[in-house]
Amino acid sequence: MEAYLLNLGVLVSIYAILAVTLNFIMGYAGIFSLAHAVFFGVGAYVGAQVGMHFSASLIVTIPAAMAVSAVLSLMLALPALRVRGEYFVAASLGLQMLAVTVFSEWKGMTGGIGGLIGIPAVRMFGEDIYRPAAFFPLAAGAAILVLIVTRLLVRSSLGRSLTAIRDSESAAESFGKNVALIKTISVVVSAALAAVAGVLYANYLSFINVESFTLDTSVLVMAMVIIGGTGTALGPIVGAALLLLLPGMLSYLWFLPQTQIGAIQQIIYGLGMAVLMIFRPGGLVGRSGARRRTRKAGGGK
Amino acid sequence: MLWLQLTLTGLQTGALYALTAVGFSLIFGATRVFHFAHGAAFVLAAYVFYWVDTAGLGMIPGIVLAALAAMAFGVAMDRLVYAPIQRHEGSFFTVFVASFGVGIAVQNIVGMVFGRGFVTMNSTLSRSREIVDGVYVAPLAWIAIACAAVFFALLQFFLRRTHTGMALRALADSPELIRVYGLDPRRLSSYAFALGSVLVVPGAVITALGSGLNPALGHHVMLISLAATIVGGIGSIGGALVAGFVLGLAENLALIFFQSQWTEAVTFAILFLVILLRPSGLFGRAAAH
Repeated sequence: MEAYLLNLGVLVSIYAILAVTLNFIMGYAGIFSLAHAVFFGVGAYVGAQVGMHFSASLIVTIPAAMAVSAVLSLMLALPALRVRGEYFVAASLGLQMLAVTVFSEWKGMTGGIGGLIGIPAVRMFGEDIYRPAAFFPLAAGAAILVLIVTRLLVRSSLGRSLTAIRDSESAAESFGKNVALIKTISVVVSAALAAVAGVLYANYLSFINVESFTLDTSVLVMAMVIIGGTGTALGPIVGAALLLLLPGMLSYLWFLPQTQIGAIQQIIYGLGMAVLMIFRPGGLVGRSGARRRTRKAGGGK
Repeated sequence: MLWLQLTLTGLQTGALYALTAVGFSLIFGATRVFHFAHGAAFVLAAYVFYWVDTAGLGMIPGIVLAALAAMAFGVAMDRLVYAPIQRHEGSFFTVFVASFGVGIAVQNIVGMVFGRGFVTMNSTLSRSREIVDGVYVAPLAWIAIACAAVFFALLQFFLRRTHTGMALRALADSPELIRVYGLDPRRLSSYAFALGSVLVVPGAVITALGSGLNPALGHHVMLISLAATIVGGIGSIGGALVAGFVLGLAENLALIFFQSQWTEAVTFAILFLVILLRPSGLFGRAAAH
């Protein structure tokens, strides 16, 4: 039971990193990306390859993964500068679908559909860290660190410029803000931090394949952000915890057929998203003020 | 003769994409609702048809019930989901998420009822015949292409020659003027949803008879018709039709150069490039900004 909870804690921490970093561009910059799992995957694959061939130390793997992810995120920044709204969603969707094909076909790098096995565990203080009890503090620490970094950025002048751009791009531009640069930086930061989650994920499971980095994952992370509350500090974490606890909680409901748990879970979160958008578009954590801001976020053209 | 074979298969695939994309584009053009659950209407129609036909009631009742199911779903989405969101000035973002959520739910409900695996139907229509040396075409391919042509012509006639059709086109430009003119924008919006959703039926039925069904199909169809809508230019139903055919052909002709795993990537590479280079689409009027 304890191992189960710790394992869940590790996964919640890893997904919380993804949700927090997606919220950074979604909630504050109005960049609505369906390609977040791409950077999760890039982080995982780079972390795994570096760990297997050079060094399993996080001081090496994390910067490498962040750097590669940051460079690749320019592919997402490019359409973000050109288009908004539905066009950007479609562009990010295109990127996500392309990435899945590359993940499953570039066998030398990703191991193809079979994935990569035997990824070395993280070594810290002369010990391999792979047990949930040891890994949980590491993952939770990383999640808290990522949260603090994004919080600081949101409160910095960059964050204020981001919200200004989100609410009115032309107004921000007329105040002398370099819209293109600010948007690019926010996408790069978000993708680089998402790669951290990928590295941890690969090290923890010691096995990865493309299944973890598909559109479904992007949607799941998006659902975490939205259900928790877009543009709030704690919303994404609440959302991540809630959606990852759901399967466990459902398995306690004895009257549900066990083979259908996966489907029931998807139905609940699908309908949850729809109902929430009708009655409380700001998410569970969102206040009424936040709600108004979020609504503006996607509306601008 | 490989290219001829692939062109014909491409036209068949393209016809299915084209009609679904035209439906999506019609709904988006008239109501500005980004109806991502359009793929769910496709899956519902396909499975209703499958269910009625395998129950031994025949194809025609199957098609009629499939059309009713698609229409009912579209109108219900408009009335129960989009209308309440729009009442509090819902943005693109809010509408999209709600629609996406319903799409996920429908896919899984269908999966629970009919199973998540592939189901296929036995039909002589899907049996391929050799038309030229080494080129095989099933009767279904001709039906698909004919359906695309006939339904598109009917739709154009409706939009240009009938009172309701013209009102639908006006709704895209100005809901306020529609109200001033004495028409009800809400009712017109439901018409747009009914009409757009019915357009999935030919594609759904032909897919059920041809390559078979699985619940995840709606997702795939939606992604493709979304790509076709944007490549063709949002709001241009003629553009969506052409782009549907272009994507169907590209997906199949890509097989000459790439292995089959890469065909989907070709579609989305086209989508990505079009958004970057020509965001208003091939036939679009308004720019994306």
